Amino acid sequence: MAQQPHPRFSVMSTSSLSSADALSPATSTTRFSLPSVNTASTSTRHAGPRPNIFDRSLNKTRTTEVSTSAFAFLFSEVVQYTQKRVSGINDLERRLNTLGYRIGTRVLELMAWRAESGSKAPKREIRFLPALMSIHTQVWKAVFGKPADAIEKSVSNEDEYMIIDNEPAIERYISVPRDMSQLSCSSFTAGIVEAVLDGLGFPARVTAHNTPVQGHPARTTILIKLEKSVLEREEVFKT
Amino acid sequence: MSHHLFLLSPSDTPLYSLTHYSTKPIPSTGSALTSNLPSWSTSAFAGTLTALSGASSATQSHHVQGGAARMGGGQDRHVIQMIANASLDVVEDVMRKDGAMYLKSVDKFNEWMVSAFITPGNMKFVLLHEAKNDDGIKSFFNEVWELYVKTMLNPFHTAHTSIRSPVFDARVRTSAKKYL
Repeated sequence: MAQQPHPRFSVMSTSSLSSADALSPATSTTRFSLPSVNTASTSTRHAGPRPNIFDRSLNKTRTTEVSTSAFAFLFSEVVQYTQKRVSGINDLERRLNTLGYRIGTRVLELMAWRAESGSKAPKREIRFLPALMSIHTQVWKAVFGKPADAIEKSVSNEDEYMIIDNEPAIERYISVPRDMSQLSCSSFTAGIVEAVLDGLGFPARVTAHNTPVQGHPARTTILIKLEKSVLEREEVFKT
Repeated sequence: MSHHLFLLSPSDTPLYSLTHYSTKPIPSTGSALTSNLPSWSTSAFAGTLTALSGASSATQSHHVQGGAARMGGGQDRHVIQMIANASLDVVEDVMRKDGAMYLKSVDKFNEWMVSAFITPGNMKFVLLHEAKNDDGIKSFFNEVWELYVKTMLNPFHTAHTSIRSPVFDARVRTSAKKYL
């Protein structure tokens, strides 16, 4: 499993190497039956001075990917850990959202740096719809390795937008028990989206909902409810 | 010639600040205002007044290396902070309409020019400088941005808290030396 990673997730973190360093003591314990491949090389690696995060190129992990199994394992632990500390489904979703938010702020900065730092006049997104489009394609590609499936605008409420993913990667190995059917673990993704929108200056409340359809039982809708200030700001541009 | 850099969070909390003294020569800008100031201005408010009036007396004094009278290093620090803070209004106005990250010379206050850089996550880098140096400042901001992104990615760094990493500080100083 560990030797043949599924190249499905790409990594937004630059710390894939150093985290392997940090975890290396586990390779010598017997609790995890990980192959004890580089016990010799890890000891030599620790001998030198610790690498500094400021020395690493931000593009080093641009195309690196993390195995789905490793992520599924980590995320299942995240959900279990969170579930032990909450009283209800709403609380659990809120916590997952907060965790995703921490990722989103980083995703936004790193993604923009990778896209814009080479250009002569780096640009920010200041209109809402292009920003939403870039979340649908760029952010999804950076985090999940594929763009989301659709963007929809609510007919009844003009401040509501939806991003739809037919098969959310983080829920691939999660089956929610019937008594918790309200729960959508994609709240984590919603947190990422919320952080990106917040960072770009479009404060919104973002939630995740299960909306299964024929053929796509795991279909998830990320619902974005914009704050009033965003709509007012957009009005200024129209005139 | 001094440069003052401030990193501000989206809620305008200063997270990091740096004062840099360039070895490059100062363009000679004489100010008539200083001589017109009343004699009492040499009292408690002297520093503030000379700075606000764009006086050259204070600007010249930091030729004295290691002298206590360096502009912005001592008692005039609050003036610098005030100018930087005042420029935020202009910066915020411009960044709503302009999608560029690097806003060159958005504001001017006497001899001070204010350039800003807005990251996609709405962090503001504000730089006070006395001479025009667009390309240098742009490269400087780009390096600070890269360093900031690296700081952000550290899982032990909480977003929008002050940056206390000594390595970050050293790196920013190095690129300030290089470009300013």
